[in-house]
Amino acid sequence: MLQAHSFLWHYLWLAPGLLSLFFAVVLWLRGEHRKYPFFVVYLLFVPVEQFCLYIFDLSPRISAVAWWYAFWVGTIVEGMLKFAILSELLRHLLSPWPSIAKLVRNVVSGSGVFLVFLAAVVAAFAAPDNVYRVVASAHILSHTLYLIEAGLIISIFLAAALFRIPWERITFGISLGFAVTWCEHSAIWALVTEGIVRNRGWEDFVNMATYHLSVLIWYYYLLAPTKQKVLAIPARGQRPAIEPAGTIAAFSTRPGEEPKETLHDWNRILERLIHQ
Amino acid sequence: MILAIVLIIAAALSLVFVLSIAVSRSLVVSGDSGQPQLQPIDLAAFRNLVDPAETDYLRHRLSTHEFRTVQRERLRAMATYIQAAGRNAAILIQIGQPALSSNDPHTAEAGRQLIERALLLRRNAIFALCKIYVVLAWPTSGLGVAPVLNSYERLNGSAMLLGRLQNPAAPVRISATL
Repeated sequence: MLQAHSFLWHYLWLAPGLLSLFFAVVLWLRGEHRKYPFFVVYLLFVPVEQFCLYIFDLSPRISAVAWWYAFWVGTIVEGMLKFAILSELLRHLLSPWPSIAKLVRNVVSGSGVFLVFLAAVVAAFAAPDNVYRVVASAHILSHTLYLIEAGLIISIFLAAALFRIPWERITFGISLGFAVTWCEHSAIWALVTEGIVRNRGWEDFVNMATYHLSVLIWYYYLLAPTKQKVLAIPARGQRPAIEPAGTIAAFSTRPGEEPKETLHDWNRILERLIHQ
Repeated sequence: MILAIVLIIAAALSLVFVLSIAVSRSLVVSGDSGQPQLQPIDLAAFRNLVDPAETDYLRHRLSTHEFRTVQRERLRAMATYIQAAGRNAAILIQIGQPALSSNDPHTAEAGRQLIERALLLRRNAIFALCKIYVVLAWPTSGLGVAPVLNSYERLNGSAMLLGRLQNPAAPVRISATL
């Protein structure tokens, strides 16, 4: 089953590409291509890239070395598109919230600089496959790119979790799909470049299956209906579930009791605080 | 080999982290996580804690050793207040999110302002906490937490506005809580 040219192998190579293509059409019809232009270009590019590689792989006229050169070109173009998508996702996440936009952008940019250095170290210490130079360099290129991409998307998730930045549903879905794929690909390519796993076959299946899963995640977040829970601000006099603890002084408003401080008093206190 | 293992573990942990965010997000959206509760904060007591005049008074009245001990306690108390304010800000972000998609433009704008100010408060709270933990080592040095207070005031106003739009009978409760 987990062998090249098995039914599963053909399916996992072709199906995610077809699904991506269809997903791009759905996004276009919904007008989302204006919001996520790089993502739509990526969704159109990946099927073309994968179909070309698939045909090159099956064709007896295309040599293995030529296939790896095609893989090289595809990886570089795909890598550039993914960095553009990262920038697009960050823009969508931060543009409504200028108070933290600059800080989070700086954090993500700083992470990017660190990840580039880390990728350089990883590439320097890689144990390349010496049979074909183009193969070894393609492995290292993929590993370093996925390492940087995974690190960047995780830094975006970390910043969003730390500040509790609200995600738009589609932006979250796209980011989640990429995070799953890039983390998994980064781990698999680490195994390959270090020579721990090489030419076993299952690593390709894991990569293809994970990408397939990511495409399904995108579909879910775009097409599944949302159930938005409306949270109410507690009514006056309602007892809070969490009582003040430790050094936090007693709450001035108790159940069934009118607040001692009026709004005017509160504003006066706060104004004094501001002008201290 | 070691580098590869470290990277694989990091990738696995990252994957778990991202998936846990997705699960917790779906629980919040579907309403299975329960109603979040704001933690009451006594702003007057907090104001007293961060009052520079109060600190100067203690500095002059107490010996250096005693002042360090008292100031450390005050700093820990400040940290507790700020942590509570940060948690409240996180809850207000959650409360403000449905308002963003409201058909009423006033409610949507109030929700946006509430979230914007709550985010600012979380940023300031994180910076203030970092500063407090640094100052804990040298309690005699000064401490500026004014940005947190300013953010808190603005957040309070936004919460009141959104509360008034959502439920005209209840705006005072949120301001008293905050």
